[in-house]
Amino acid sequence: MTTIIHGIATMLREHWFWGALTLICLTWYSTITIYVAIRGFGDIRSMLRRLSNSKDTP
Amino acid sequence: MNGLTPLDGGIIGVYLLATMVIGIAIRKYVGRVEDFLVARREMDVYLGIASLAATEFGIVSCMYTAQNGFDKGFAGAVPGLLTFAAMFLVGWTGFCIKPLRDSGVMTIPELFEKKFGPRVRWAAGVVIVLGGLLNMGVFLRVGGDFLIHACGMDPGGHKLEVMMTSLLVGVAVYTILGGMLSVLVTDFLQFIMMSAGLIVVTFLILNKIGWSTLVSTVETYHGAGGFNPFKNPSIGWSYVIFNALLNTAAVLTWQTQIARVLSAKDSGTGRKVYTRTSFFFVARFLIPGIWGIAALAVIGWVPLKTLSSDQLATIPPALQQKVAASKMSKVFAATDQDYAKLSPDDQARTLSPDETATIQPEVVARLKEASLHHMPLFLSMFVPAGLMGLLIAAMLAADMSTDSSYMLTWGGVIYNDILAPFRKKKWSDKKGLLWNRAIVALIGVFLLIYGLWYKLEGDLWTYLGITGTIYLSSMSTLLIACCYWKRANNWGATAAIICGALVPISTLILQTRGPWTQWVTDHNTTCGIAAYVLVALAMVIGSLLKPQPQAAAEGVKA
Repeated sequence: MTTIIHGIATMLREHWFWGALTLICLTWYSTITIYVAIRGFGDIRSMLRRLSNSKDTP
Repeated sequence: MNGLTPLDGGIIGVYLLATMVIGIAIRKYVGRVEDFLVARREMDVYLGIASLAATEFGIVSCMYTAQNGFDKGFAGAVPGLLTFAAMFLVGWTGFCIKPLRDSGVMTIPELFEKKFGPRVRWAAGVVIVLGGLLNMGVFLRVGGDFLIHACGMDPGGHKLEVMMTSLLVGVAVYTILGGMLSVLVTDFLQFIMMSAGLIVVTFLILNKIGWSTLVSTVETYHGAGGFNPFKNPSIGWSYVIFNALLNTAAVLTWQTQIARVLSAKDSGTGRKVYTRTSFFFVARFLIPGIWGIAALAVIGWVPLKTLSSDQLATIPPALQQKVAASKMSKVFAATDQDYAKLSPDDQARTLSPDETATIQPEVVARLKEASLHHMPLFLSMFVPAGLMGLLIAAMLAADMSTDSSYMLTWGGVIYNDILAPFRKKKWSDKKGLLWNRAIVALIGVFLLIYGLWYKLEGDLWTYLGITGTIYLSSMSTLLIACCYWKRANNWGATAAIICGALVPISTLILQTRGPWTQWVTDHNTTCGIAAYVLVALAMVIGSLLKPQPQAAAEGVKA
């Protein structure tokens, strides 16, 4: 934990703009990947269900 | 080189098998042309985010953004920030994409027909297809280069061609059968695999190499210009303005991006996909950029290591020493005058034009783009066994999602717009699907020949730059005018398309002959900006020159 905090502090100290941008980028990307994985799976299921239903409808 | 272990092979094999099975299984939902081209407009927000992100990140993007990091430092990620800003603003305001989606068209040229007539629709279709497919032509070879280097293989023989042909055939099978539905579902799987690989490798780099080392490497090689684009001699204001125009035009008209808006359930969903995916473009440039900087930090500038053993053997030992001692990306002097201007110390590590002439042109071309191949070379040494399988699977995922989407969306323009004059009567869905599938298959064959098995002569990137500028400058101008300027008409649209072609072609001619050769070469981004300005002027002047219909003119007076 101390190593991680030290790493983050270094990133914000040395060229803070690119350090902060990299931190935000990795945090956002990790979060959105998990979120999209869950919600996107739901989107696929409902899309395929709608397609099946409309195919069955004469 | 760490190479691949059975565990790595297992990860890659399971991923490829899963993608193929899922992609092919989706084919049963395809019954109409609309299913094939725009997934019957059933795409929701999160599937759209996964699909857009996966499509817009291929091995090519990874290689060139890593090269930006290697050659320009952190400042090389500026185009990512500009794309983020452009996509966020377009999504937030609905600029162009709202009227486009609300119109119910399947492609941009179809919208143009409503305003500018069928000839402009057809011409726009040709420009879009030429620009898109010529760009896509380089994907296979660059992707193969990455895989060869990252897997630690010798680039000799036909390994690259065989590997990428197999990959393209696999992608083509599920794209031909399932169209946009297969593309969306496999993109979802590919997004997860690709993101996992990108995030894990970046954390590993930050942990093992450290931020301080990356920062000090950029300071050593690039100075202040590695952090500030306006202090970097290879970036500057004109580069930033040109990239702002280029990326905004791409967000508005690049076929693979706009296909997500057109496949969305409604314009609101399309806008959400844009706003929520926009920040991904920062990651798209920054993450591989960090990989490029890490390559510079760990292996430095080692151009000879990017050659195959066969290629290396063709360079005389004395010249090999000069190349090994060369400054970063400065192996060759362009002219005798340039060589004569160098200090004796620099002459000892730069090849003169006479020395360059003794090396095979293929090897010279390879050394000129050596900075492109440092990142995969570094990864092959740095990423441990087990993780290498994840990395390769991630990169395959990135490439497959890009290839499938490119083949499908550009095929869609060929069917919907270029073949439109041949569909006087409405075609049945069965006939339409058959044509669409045949077009995707033909695009696959074209890519194999043009991009892989046939070696292009001349400066490929110049042609790509030209076709890209012709496409983006003219199509974005036409789209904006079509959506927001009542007075815009077919004269203006035609003038814009012609001007969009003339400016880049003139730039190419002026770069090679005449008194302005050096100026045009040094100011290529300024010429790019000029292309956008002149195309916009052509649209305005051409539209104003066309006499208005009597009734419309009287309406204006009243």
